[in-house]
Amino acid sequence: MIVVENVTKRYGSFTAVDDVSFRIGAGEIVGFLGPNGAGKSTVLKMLCTWLRPTSGKITVDGHDVVTDALAVRRSLGYLTEHNALYETMRVTAFINFVGKLRGLSGKLLDQRREWVVEQCTIAEVMHKQVQECSKGYRQRIGVAAALIHDPRVILLDEPTHGLDPIQVVAFRDFIRGLSRDRAILFSSHNLSEVATISERLLVINRGQLLADASLEDLNLKAADIGQTLEETVLDIVRGQGVST
Amino acid sequence: MTRLARVGLWRGVTVVAGRELGNYFDSKIAYVYTIAFVVMANSIFMNEFFLTGTVDMTGFFDLMPLLLPVFLPAVTMRLWAEERKQRTIEMLLTMPIRPIQAVIGKYVAAMLLYTLFLVGSLPIVIMLAVLGEPDLGLITGGYLGLIGFGAMFLALGMFLSSLSSDQIVAFISTTVVGFLFVLSGNDRVVAVIDGLFPALSLGTRLYEAFSVMPHYDAFVRGVVGLPAVIYFCGLSALFLWINAMVLERHRA
Repeated sequence: MIVVENVTKRYGSFTAVDDVSFRIGAGEIVGFLGPNGAGKSTVLKMLCTWLRPTSGKITVDGHDVVTDALAVRRSLGYLTEHNALYETMRVTAFINFVGKLRGLSGKLLDQRREWVVEQCTIAEVMHKQVQECSKGYRQRIGVAAALIHDPRVILLDEPTHGLDPIQVVAFRDFIRGLSRDRAILFSSHNLSEVATISERLLVINRGQLLADASLEDLNLKAADIGQTLEETVLDIVRGQGVST
Repeated sequence: MTRLARVGLWRGVTVVAGRELGNYFDSKIAYVYTIAFVVMANSIFMNEFFLTGTVDMTGFFDLMPLLLPVFLPAVTMRLWAEERKQRTIEMLLTMPIRPIQAVIGKYVAAMLLYTLFLVGSLPIVIMLAVLGEPDLGLITGGYLGLIGFGAMFLALGMFLSSLSSDQIVAFISTTVVGFLFVLSGNDRVVAVIDGLFPALSLGTRLYEAFSVMPHYDAFVRGVVGLPAVIYFCGLSALFLWINAMVLERHRA
């Protein structure tokens, strides 16, 4: 459902993403791991059509992100890096606004809103203004908005940022429940969170994709060389080998 | 374009317009601006009315071009600058709508708020109708001129707001450019610029080709001519289109 082929993104002489390729199919939950400034968000911004690749090709749900951007946007739900929300809007109005822009109306909008409100546990704050909500609630409001239209492809940039450990576990169960026929890519710089939620890992640093492997394979490799998973991933990020 | 695609296009516009209009009222901007505009507009009129003692609104319409370049940028300054500053622009423009739909949606909301300002001045018309027999044709022409003037300035302000993430920069740049459009139509300014560049007749050329005033004055005199309609509609459409282009370029 997500196909990234030899994608590069340059800003002048700076290369933010360098010849990255990967594929994500339906039913997969993939964690995108890398330190701050590694290029995770740039890749996600290209997937959601916010940025255009300098070279290479990206298709989402069969649609090209450059030539068929509207179809791409219809098929995906996206939580932005900073989870920027309209501060003065009431949460209900905000969710309705996103739903309407996503083409929902009437009973279908009501049903979908009730579903995301229940799944994201934001019923308590629906009457509040966004600016009155805590960080954890804001994060869940952003996820609810990303899922309102039941997208086939879900991109989440640092979705667990601001959530407490209990909420992270609840979020993991929620995301796993969603993944059956959807492709889910979420970024994080926290290995333990990624390892908790995803089945497969993409490791990126300085714009280059350093690893694309299942967590099971990475755990096996770590055991082979007598390391923890964290040490193995750190070696990958530092560019100290570990073939994947 | 299929009927379904057209409906989708309009729906995107109305959803964005609805949010913007709601935001004007939720953040109290609509109330503050409308009250301020109505107080100032009515003060301007009453001052002229008591000085001249005539049952018309010419003085009111003559002074509005000096008030609106300050008032209208206050309406448009936040439209894109705030989206950039709060980073909500990324969320908005990764929705399944085209940038031009978002631009027109915000523009429709700003025009509706401006229309509310103008409605606030209608008691003047009612008062004149009670006191005497004002020329309603002239008054209608004046209001049409104000709508054209506002339509163009709101489009200009939105465009300049899309270039910055700072509302103050957007406000000041719109006010400065707005006054260039107005003052280039002032007789004294035209004479001074002509005097500075006598060979070029630059002041006169600016008056004829650039200034908003000859077109606005035509409406105020009750002459709804095609050049004025083309000027207001053309410049409004041009600024909206450039605004959408600026948003598209942001993705590059």
